Amino acid sequence: MRIARTNLLKSIPSLFAAIALLPLAAAQEINTEQILGGRPDSPVRIEVFSDFQCPACKNFYLDTVRQVLREYAAEDKVCVIYHEFPLKMHQFSRLAARYSLAAQRLGQRQWRAVMEALYSNQSQWSLDGSIDAVVAKVLDLEDLKKVRKLVEDATVNDSVNRDVTLGNQKEVNHTPTIFIYDGSKEQKVVGGLEYPLLKEYIDRIVK
Amino acid sequence: MAVAYKIVHWLCRIGLAGIFFYSGYTKIKAPLEFAASLSAYQLFPAKLIFPIADYFPWIEILLAIALLIGWKIRYVALAVAGVLCFFLCILAITYFRGIEADCGCFGSGDRISPRTLARDFTFLLPALFLIFEPRIRMWRRARPET
Repeated sequence: MRIARTNLLKSIPSLFAAIALLPLAAAQEINTEQILGGRPDSPVRIEVFSDFQCPACKNFYLDTVRQVLREYAAEDKVCVIYHEFPLKMHQFSRLAARYSLAAQRLGQRQWRAVMEALYSNQSQWSLDGSIDAVVAKVLDLEDLKKVRKLVEDATVNDSVNRDVTLGNQKEVNHTPTIFIYDGSKEQKVVGGLEYPLLKEYIDRIVK
Repeated sequence: MAVAYKIVHWLCRIGLAGIFFYSGYTKIKAPLEFAASLSAYQLFPAKLIFPIADYFPWIEILLAIALLIGWKIRYVALAVAGVLCFFLCILAITYFRGIEADCGCFGSGDRISPRTLARDFTFLLPALFLIFEPRIRMWRRARPET
């Protein structure tokens, strides 16, 4: 009995250490490739599950995320991470997600350019699936060739599947679904957020 | 009959306290989500969104505690009914204006619909029972035996 109690007492510091390291372990899970802006150790982390063909996702990206990237991620106050979550109801969103992830593999600049083009021209390619034509306008010829090759790559499709699996694990049912991490605190917001509201919330944390 | 009233009385108190406690807890856990719902109603000035999101959940928790301990139960039930009526009106206005917004009652993913309105109206019934319970009892006692 005494031995058991001694072992229990000995295990207390390691238990506390494990609890203390939990947020760190969560931070280490971040795939740096999926960071759209900011550093992984920024005080606020925003993770978005988004579908390129969803109008609310377009509005969230164009009206809110771009401003967050410009005003907070550039100063490393916020880290923005994007996950693909193509909904089955949208005919071309998986293909768009593959183009986006293919561009992501070339670098953040190309990835942002493709995302921007896909969301800005959503109404155009959503009708006929002319994603390649939209992407071709924002990439140079060399990058476009690489992206076209990567779109056919099975590992890119696997990356989309991994994001979808992660979304399902986090009980994502609608897009956009936004997870905001402030330290170990997690908040889930479904259906987008207006920039002034998000700005006020971020300011309360980082200022 | 007195026992039946006591059972209904306690069921109303415990049920309402549970609803208010859970509702307050989900909002305290995710204030930004509640603030987003409040903002989506397009009824509150921007400056009031975060103060409401910060303090309103604690009012819900306090009301839940007051319901459980039975402190000034009729007045507390009146306050509960007031809160429910207030939010019912806001949700109904938002719904009939055709705004697609989350109810914000118990976390995310709960769009305002006739179902959410009916559900919130159902919550009003136990509060009304607690407010009018003495009158109901008096009315029952005054009714001649058949």
